Amino acid sequence: MKRFVLFLLLFGLGLALAQPKYGGVLRAGMQTDPVGLDPHTSQATATRNMLENTYDTLVMLNENLEIVPGLAESWEASEDGLAWTFNLREGVTFHNGDPLKASDVVFSLNRIKDPDIASPRAGDFEVISNIEAADDSTVVVTLSQPFSPLLSKLAFSMNAIVSEAVAMANNNDLNDVVVGTGPFKFIEYIPQTRMVLEKNENFWGTDANGNQLPYLDGITFTFYPEPTARTTAVQTGNVDWIEYVPAPDVDILKADSGVEVVGGLATNFRSIYINTSVAPLDNALVRDAIAYAVDEQAVVDVALFGTGGVAADGTTIPSSAFYGISSSPYIGRDVEKAKELLAEAGFADGFEFDMYVTSTYDFLRTPAEIIQSNLAEIGITMNIVAEDWSVYLPKVIDGDFTATILGNSGLADPDDYLYDQFHTGGNGNFGGYSNAELDALLEQGRQVSDPEERKAIYTQAQELILAESPMVFLFHSAQYEAHGTNVKGFKHYQNTGYLSFRETWLE
Amino acid sequence: MDLIFYFLRQLFLAIPALFGVLIITFLLMRAVPGDVVTQLVGIDGNVSAERMEEMRRMFGLDLPLYEQFGQWIGAALQGDLGSSLRTGRPILLDLAMRFPVTLELTILSLMVALIIAIPLGVIAALYRGKLADSIISIFALLGLSIPGFFLGILLILLFSLKLNVLPPAGYIPLQESLAQNLRHMILPAVSLGLVLAAAITRIVRSSMLEILGRDYIRTARAKGLAERSVTYRHALRNALIPVITVIGLQFGSLLGGAIIIEQVFSLPGVGRFALEGINLRDYPVVQGAVIVIAASFILVNLLVDLVYSLIDPRIRYG
Repeated sequence: MKRFVLFLLLFGLGLALAQPKYGGVLRAGMQTDPVGLDPHTSQATATRNMLENTYDTLVMLNENLEIVPGLAESWEASEDGLAWTFNLREGVTFHNGDPLKASDVVFSLNRIKDPDIASPRAGDFEVISNIEAADDSTVVVTLSQPFSPLLSKLAFSMNAIVSEAVAMANNNDLNDVVVGTGPFKFIEYIPQTRMVLEKNENFWGTDANGNQLPYLDGITFTFYPEPTARTTAVQTGNVDWIEYVPAPDVDILKADSGVEVVGGLATNFRSIYINTSVAPLDNALVRDAIAYAVDEQAVVDVALFGTGGVAADGTTIPSSAFYGISSSPYIGRDVEKAKELLAEAGFADGFEFDMYVTSTYDFLRTPAEIIQSNLAEIGITMNIVAEDWSVYLPKVIDGDFTATILGNSGLADPDDYLYDQFHTGGNGNFGGYSNAELDALLEQGRQVSDPEERKAIYTQAQELILAESPMVFLFHSAQYEAHGTNVKGFKHYQNTGYLSFRETWLE
Repeated sequence: MDLIFYFLRQLFLAIPALFGVLIITFLLMRAVPGDVVTQLVGIDGNVSAERMEEMRRMFGLDLPLYEQFGQWIGAALQGDLGSSLRTGRPILLDLAMRFPVTLELTILSLMVALIIAIPLGVIAALYRGKLADSIISIFALLGLSIPGFFLGILLILLFSLKLNVLPPAGYIPLQESLAQNLRHMILPAVSLGLVLAAAITRIVRSSMLEILGRDYIRTARAKGLAERSVTYRHALRNALIPVITVIGLQFGSLLGGAIIIEQVFSLPGVGRFALEGINLRDYPVVQGAVIVIAASFILVNLLVDLVYSLIDPRIRYG
């Protein structure tokens, strides 16, 4: 009996320890200011990072990058995949007290599509032909063709549901007013000084035990563009939490017992883009040879301080959550195989080409030096040509390069990683790669919604890409956040968002 | 009366100077490769070439240079400095918020510089060739050689990380809490002020040495004045005239230094605003910030002229 009581006591104590506490304002140290506060027109990650907890989306991503309910409690697609019905959560109110209505959802999605608003994400919803409110709590989205990435587009935090009444009262300009349904209300923003958010007492969300969210009374964001100042701020307790721990500081902070570092793999990719129309790189054998010769791990260890990235073991897709495969034949190095392939292609004596890089971002420039020495071993002379980002980017978009190191990030569906990059004429297909078989697979992937079928299609597509090497996959940039030990419950999301603030608490 | 007329004339003469500064800024910014569109698209933008052209048209960047300049100067003459291409916020609004921060930083830095430099310079001159003089000269040389931003980072590491007595960066508006505001301002003001202190120390020293060798100082001593009185009332007062000239000229370098220091310490001043504008090729922001910086430089030098006549009654303007 005594033992049982003791057990109960310990059990209770354990529960009490794990129990989140309400109250306290989290002081967050950010890298930069938001660029505009209108969720639909801003392109800046910084804007998303600070506003994604003031607004909500129809569906959301959890920390495992799975789609979970947001403002829509449930949804279903019609048999042909063309009509999607979303059932809205009951009793949700905006921060000004207005109830959320289906008409606000219709307004928001149409607003993103509106050419006058010029949203950078208008293309996300190009396939939507009609949006209507069946009743106050049901929205029906009609597509012109099946488009399975729809949910991941709707889950992007800045494809937020805004209030129609508030937008109309402000000339359809949401840069000065932030009225959402999220766990935190917007209080003020003073440029380069701070942004203040306060708890929304009427937030609809609850934790796994049914407790009302959020736990925090508020969040105050301040800005530290200088990396040393940001790192120091969290070490000295001037802030509770910082974003973008600089790669060289990750180990320093990990060694500090007063600070916890979370993070790692993030949803992005960095690759050698190859112009597939320039000889001899138009030959897939030559491209494969380069892929075999390049030492991805050395790129991460040397150019990225070992902490700035994770070596690519598949294609552009970093995570199995998006059907990414991790069976690249190019993991590690195989110099003999590379030489063999070069000889087979008729370049046993090697050749010379220019690697065009941008001098603006270190993580896109320093890998070139390692690649240069890797390739020298198989007889290829690689010259590094570096230019400022603003000169570099237009040339790359025009396809005016032989090979370059670039990438993309914040992607949430296999389609995001493959279609733009490898489909003939895709927006991010700077190397001009074209393969009818791959095009067909990528189109099919958009139309099929069954996860197993999609997985099979995207696996096949990735194997095809690996065989042809239109890109040589280098690494996925890692991202780290750090916080004091008083901060509990914060989880790193691979899509680098801070939705986790909804369940963060202070001890 | 003469004085007022003199100032009006100087103000009038400042107009072509400002105009020249503007033209140079305008052309230099456009000579830098790239534009705001490529910067906005950034590293992860999946944006088509057509969309980028469209953005350029929207910002009026496709117009010939003279037309862009004409449009901008036309609006500026009516008091409209335009809006930031990046954020869409009116530039006047941003400048009005930021100018007080930069002003506070420069005034505090100047105070730091004078508090350090005048005593050190006087001591170095009085003990010329002695140990104290050598130590002060080494300090001055070090101060001149160390870049302000590097000193700033060292100060952050020492006072914030090691001793944890001052915040590493950030800003609290003056009207909210004077104490908090000053706590955040100490490190930036010292980083910026120390470099200037080094320069002024050298001027005070050489100027004191020159004055101390004058006949009237010998006369003062000969008639039995206390050494204290000779040093401070007769020598220092006259030795400060070249120092004031230097302060006027160095005010420009303070404003320039503020650009980097504001970045290091995350202060929301005109300098950081300009730097952000330069990095993003946000032309109207840079032009607006340069007007404010140039105008304050001109104004300060006019004030210096005024201070001359107060310190040295022999100087008259006509």
